[in-house]
Amino acid sequence: MSVYLIIPAFNEAPVVHEVLESLLTLGYPIIVVDDGSSDHTAQIVAELPVTLIRHVINRGQGAALETGMEAARRMHADYVVHFDADGQHDGREIIRLLKPLLNGECDVVFGSRFLEKIHPGLPLTRMLVLRAGRWLNYALTGILLTDAHNGFRAMNRRALDLLHFTQPGMAHATEILAGVRSHSLRYKEVPVHIQYSAYSKKKGQPVWNAVNILFHLLFKKN
Amino acid sequence: MKIIQVILIVAIIFIMISYLRRFRSAAIDKIFVSGLFLLGIVFILFPDMTNKLARLLGIGRGADLIFYLAIMGFGYIVVILYAKIKKLEDLLTTLVRNQSLASLNNHKEKA
Repeated sequence: MSVYLIIPAFNEAPVVHEVLESLLTLGYPIIVVDDGSSDHTAQIVAELPVTLIRHVINRGQGAALETGMEAARRMHADYVVHFDADGQHDGREIIRLLKPLLNGECDVVFGSRFLEKIHPGLPLTRMLVLRAGRWLNYALTGILLTDAHNGFRAMNRRALDLLHFTQPGMAHATEILAGVRSHSLRYKEVPVHIQYSAYSKKKGQPVWNAVNILFHLLFKKN
Repeated sequence: MKIIQVILIVAIIFIMISYLRRFRSAAIDKIFVSGLFLLGIVFILFPDMTNKLARLLGIGRGADLIFYLAIMGFGYIVVILYAKIKKLEDLLTTLVRNQSLASLNNHKEKA
C-alpha cells in the first residue's frame, strides 16, 4: 500500500524547506510540483529526498495538481493526499484523512476547517467568501460541503483514476466536486486545522478571485 | 468622388490584400471576408444605400446601422478569440505537463 503526498508549489521558497522537512518525518513519499516558480523553490526542493517535477512555466494550481496526480498514477500510488506548500496544513492530520479511505468507507476525503466550532485566526472576509463559495459549489455541483475551498484532501486509486483537473487555476476545488458527483464517488469530510500565518494569508488567493472562479466554471466547455 | 471615399477605399483594399496574402484560412472564410470588404466599398461609393437599408429595418440613419453591425461583429470576434485562446492555454498546459513528466521517466530509467 503506497500513499503519495502531492504538493503543488509556486514561489514558496521561504517556507517550503520547513514544510517538507516536517512531512518527511512521517515517511510518506512526496511529489512536489514546482509550478514555474521564479524564486528558488525548485533548488530548495531538489536538495531533499522527494520527487521534484518542474513546470517550465506557471500553469496554475489546478494544472500543477493534475501533473502531480499523473505522476502518482504512473508511480502506482494506491492513495494520494493533496497538501499545500505554504505551511497552513498540519502533516500530523494526514492520517485522519487516510483513515476513512483505508477502512473503505469512501473514495475521497475532504479536509474541512469548519467541522469544529472555533476557527482561530480566520479572517472575516475569507470566512464570508468561503460561506458563499460553499453554496456556489452546491449550486454548480449539488454537493454541499462545510468548507468550500480546502486544499487538504485525500483519495484512493479509484478516484485518482477517475478525477482529472482541467481547470488550470483555483477552480479545482469545485471541479473535484463535479467529478465526485458525476462518477458517483463516495466522499466524506474530516475536520482539519488551518494555520493562518502572515505568510499563508499573503499567499492565499485574494477574495475577488472567487469571481474569476465562478466565471471560469460557468463558461467552461464540457 | 470625395477625398474621404478614396482614402477609405484604398484602406479597405490594402487590408483585404494583406488578409488574403497572409492568412491561410479556409476558402469559405476567404469568400465571406472578401464579400464583406466589397460590401464596404459599395457602401462607401453609394452612402445613400445604407440609409435606405437602415430605414427598411426601422433604423434612422445608415451610420447607425453600420454602428450596430460593427458592435455585433466585434462581439462575435471576441468570443471566437476567447475560445481559441482557451484552447491554446489547454494545449500549453498539456505540453508543459508532458515535458515535466518526461523528466520523471528519465529519472526512473537511470535509477
